[in-house]
Parts: sequence; structure tokens; C-alpha cells
Amino acid sequence: MITGAFRSEWIKLRRPSLLVSTYIGLAAAAALFTILLFTQAGNGRHRDGGIPTLTELGQPNGLIHGLSQATVLLGIVAFGIAAAQIASEYSLGTLRQLLVRQPRRWVLLAGKYLGVLTFLAIAVVFAAVLATVVAFAMAHGRHVPTAAWTSSTGISDLTRALGNLVLAVIGYASLGLAVGLFIRSSVFSVIIGFAWLLPIEQIVMRIVPATTPWLPGSALTIVGQGGTASVSYAHSLLVSLAYVVVAGALATVTFIRRDVTA
Amino acid sequence: MSTRSLTKRFDDKAVVDQLALAIPTGSVCGFVGPNGAGKTTTIRMLLGLIRPSSGTGTVLGGNLGDPPSYLDKVGALIEAPAFYPQLSGRANLRVLVRLGRISSRPIDDVLHRVGLAERASDRYRTYSLGMKQRLGIAAALLVSPELLVLDEPTNGLDPGGILEMRGLIRSLADDGITVFVSSHLISEIEHICDHVVMIQAGRAVYQGPVAELRARQGSDIVARPEQIEDLDGLAALLQVAGYEVRLELESEAVVVQTGADGAAGVNRTAMNGGITLQYLAERHRSLEDAFFELTGTHSRDTQQRHELEAVR
Repeated sequence: MITGAFRSEWIKLRRPSLLVSTYIGLAAAAALFTILLFTQAGNGRHRDGGIPTLTELGQPNGLIHGLSQATVLLGIVAFGIAAAQIASEYSLGTLRQLLVRQPRRWVLLAGKYLGVLTFLAIAVVFAAVLATVVAFAMAHGRHVPTAAWTSSTGISDLTRALGNLVLAVIGYASLGLAVGLFIRSSVFSVIIGFAWLLPIEQIVMRIVPATTPWLPGSALTIVGQGGTASVSYAHSLLVSLAYVVVAGALATVTFIRRDVTA
Repeated sequence: MSTRSLTKRFDDKAVVDQLALAIPTGSVCGFVGPNGAGKTTTIRMLLGLIRPSSGTGTVLGGNLGDPPSYLDKVGALIEAPAFYPQLSGRANLRVLVRLGRISSRPIDDVLHRVGLAERASDRYRTYSLGMKQRLGIAAALLVSPELLVLDEPTNGLDPGGILEMRGLIRSLADDGITVFVSSHLISEIEHICDHVVMIQAGRAVYQGPVAELRARQGSDIVARPEQIEDLDGLAALLQVAGYEVRLELESEAVVVQTGADGAAGVNRTAMNGGITLQYLAERHRSLEDAFFELTGTHSRDTQQRHELEAVR
């Protein structure tokens, strides 16, 4: 049953306007981050403004710096797309059609959730592949050795970084789906989500730095970066998981119990 | 399809109140009432979109509280058709086919049936209102339904579209599908239904065969004097003679509420009063008249007439 809902969701997701803009947009952004990283990287022994040095970029984990920098951007785009996908079912009125054909609401929601998550996970992998290709080209231009990138350690680091990025994006998308379900308006869901993840969280963290490990956007970003010096990966993963589970459970119960009057 | 004491309250206000429906299998049943009478809420409860506050029901042998037990045999068009604007008509149907795990074979069949086959590959957003409505019907037919629920299917259609829709509904009924069609236009229902449920303020005021209601309704006599100046005099004469009358200014006639056999009496009363009639005919009362009689309300036209009478 979930397979049917999943395949149905993909008919909507693969429409050219959404698929091309998301995949090309995210890939272009990831490529741009990589280009900026390589052009701004210095020759010195110490980082300048948090940007890795060319020597660091030549290490086995050199490839993942660009991807990690793109976590927030990829996450916010994932949040927006996921929120819009579910909220638009209310604003277009299509939800009533869907629920007549699939009255088991949890099945519809699960299929939709899996559809959106796979769509975004593939988008992230596609962006990562393009960013990697760009990184090789940029490395050649800036005389950064790439032999370490293709070593077993390098490939292992890259795979882990990509996995973390996909996990972070899945987290952002899950929160987006939950917010979309509660708000039921694409525009307001995206506005509220962006407002929280960008200025509000940033302001809160600046005023009360101790909140950094506990805020949803911050925790997901740290997961995407594989942990930071001040906040561990495991802690961020647990905090993110808690947010996703609570938001997902509340959204599911609301979706199943709420009357469809749209 | 039947319900017992079906009730839906929103903030303590009963939108549907103790509704008991009994829709015969194979009928084309009209569900009529003014805007806000509770038609759409009832339909949404039947389709599992809204949870009833209380009451029970059965649809095609399935329990109203368990929509999955019967919705695979139900097609529905709820209010305005709603589809994804960027997808084609065919892709929109494919979304529903995949979701309901229905064979995709009927997509072309239903598109042919509603006359959309040639535009099936065009994006939904380029469709006219009539085409959107037809795609809604096509979506409802995907499951080869035993019951078709149509909520205001002629809304926004031009006269040609309304005629087309009527024909389509009749042809579906001819295939043995039970059709439950709601409308706030009672005259619209009159043309296509053999059974009717009239609802007002969430309560059923009548349900039964249209023919039975018509027979109960009887007819009026319309009398027009030769001289227009005699219109008021004719009305007064008939009133004195004990008839219930009303003026119909647009047709310059007096409408007498009596059976067809009352024509002779009306003619005699006019003649005795020295008024020559130019026109005397029987007019069957419409379902709209029946509705207003049953609910003790008046249509806008009737209200207007009464206001004009007062002015005169």
C-alpha cells in the first residue's frame, strides 16, 4: 500500500519544473561553494576566517569541506520543498481526492514522506557528485594534490560526509513536512521555517551560545558537518532525532485525526 | 447508502443534525438545499474526510466509521475539481491510479468517456472550467464505481456544459451506477434525478421519489386578464371567492393555488366579476416550490414578488 502512495508521489516530484530546478539548483550551489572554497583557500599554515588551507584540502578528507559548508543551504532548500509538497495538497484541495483513493491516512503520509525524502536524498547525492567533479578541476587549477582523495581513507571520509549530509537533509525535510502539515499553507510554512532556521536561531545562539547544541537547525547542521570542535556528532544526532521523532509523531496524529475541510 | 442520526458539530453548532438518509441502490438521487445547509459536510462524512460527531451509517455494505471498507467502490467529485496545475490531465489521473493501486487501463477509457482524450496530454492549468469538471468526473470513474458522489458538479458551467453534465450523469445511471448528486440549484436536480433528499439547516425536510413529490405538489392555475388594469381586480375577486392567490408581475398574471380541476372555477369567478381572461392554464409546481413549501421559506423571486405586491 505504501508503495502505491510512494509511486504516486513521485509522479508529482518528477515534473520537470520541480525536478530540474531542485537538482540543478542544489548542484550549482554545491559547485559554487566548492569553487569559492578553492579560490579563497590560502597557502599558509593556518586557516583564514575558517576557510581550510590548500594543504588541508589536499588531505584525504579535503573533498568533504565543500559539502559540509553547503549543509545549511541544502537543508533549508529541503525544508522548503518538503513543507510546500504537503501544504500544497491543502491549498490546492487535492488532499480530498487523494484521501478518497487512499483513505488510510498513515499510508498516504508514509508514501508521501518516503517520496519526498528519496527525492531530496538523490538531489543531495547528485549535488555531491557534481561538487566532487568541480573539486577535482579546481584542485588541478590550484595545484592541490588529489591522490589522497582517492585513497581508501579519502573515499571512506567522503562516503561518511555524504551520509551525514543526507541524514541532515532528511532531518530538515522531516521538520519541513511536519511544519507543512501543521500550517497547511505552502507560503507560510516556508516563511515560518526559513525565519526560524535563519535569523531567529542565529540570534538566539548569538545571545545565548549555550543553546547551540540544542536548537533543531543548529543540531542538524552539525550532523551534516560530522560534528564540530565544541559539539559532538553523537549529541547532535540524538537531539536531531528527538526533534524529528516528536515533530513527526505530532504531525502524523494531527494528519490522521484532523477533518479535511479544504 | 444510509445514515442514522448523523450529526456533525463545529464549535457546538450542528452543521448536520440527526440526518437519516436512505438512498436506494441504482437511483440518481439529488441532494438539495441552500448554501450552508450541510450538503458538503454530509458528503465529506460519507467519504471519510470529516469525522461525524455522532451517528452511524452504511455505504455499499461498509461501515461509515471504516471508509477503507467501501471507498474502493466509490467515485467522488467534491466541490470544485482539484488537481495539480503543472501536470497533464492524464498524469493527474495516473497519480490517483497509483495511489489507489488501480489498474492504469481505465485512464484512456474514462478520458474518452468524458470527452477529454484529445486534451489529456495538456497541462491541467490550461483547461477550461468545463474541462476541469470533466476531468473530475473522469477521476471519479477510475475505480468503476458502484456509487458516484458528485458535489455541485454543474457549478460554474455554462448552459452547454450543464447540458453535457446532465447527459453524462444520466448515461452513468443507465450503466447501473448509483449517483448521489448535490446541488443548491433545485431546478437542476429536477432534470436528472429520480430520488431526492431535501436538506435545510442540517436536517432532511423531505426524501423520497421525485415523482411522489410532484404528485403531492399538484399544480397551480395561471390566469391573465385581457386588460392589464384588471389584474388587481381579478386577484381580489379570486381571494374573495376563497382562493389563495399571488400576483406574478413579470407575466402579468394571477397564480391561483388550486388543482387542475380549479380552472373552471377560476374562469367562472372572473366571468361573474366581469373580467375576461386572455390566458388560463395549468402549471405544475416545481421542486423548488416544493422545497420552499416544505421549509416554509421563499425563493428570492417569490420574496421579490411579495415586495412588489406590497408596493402596489
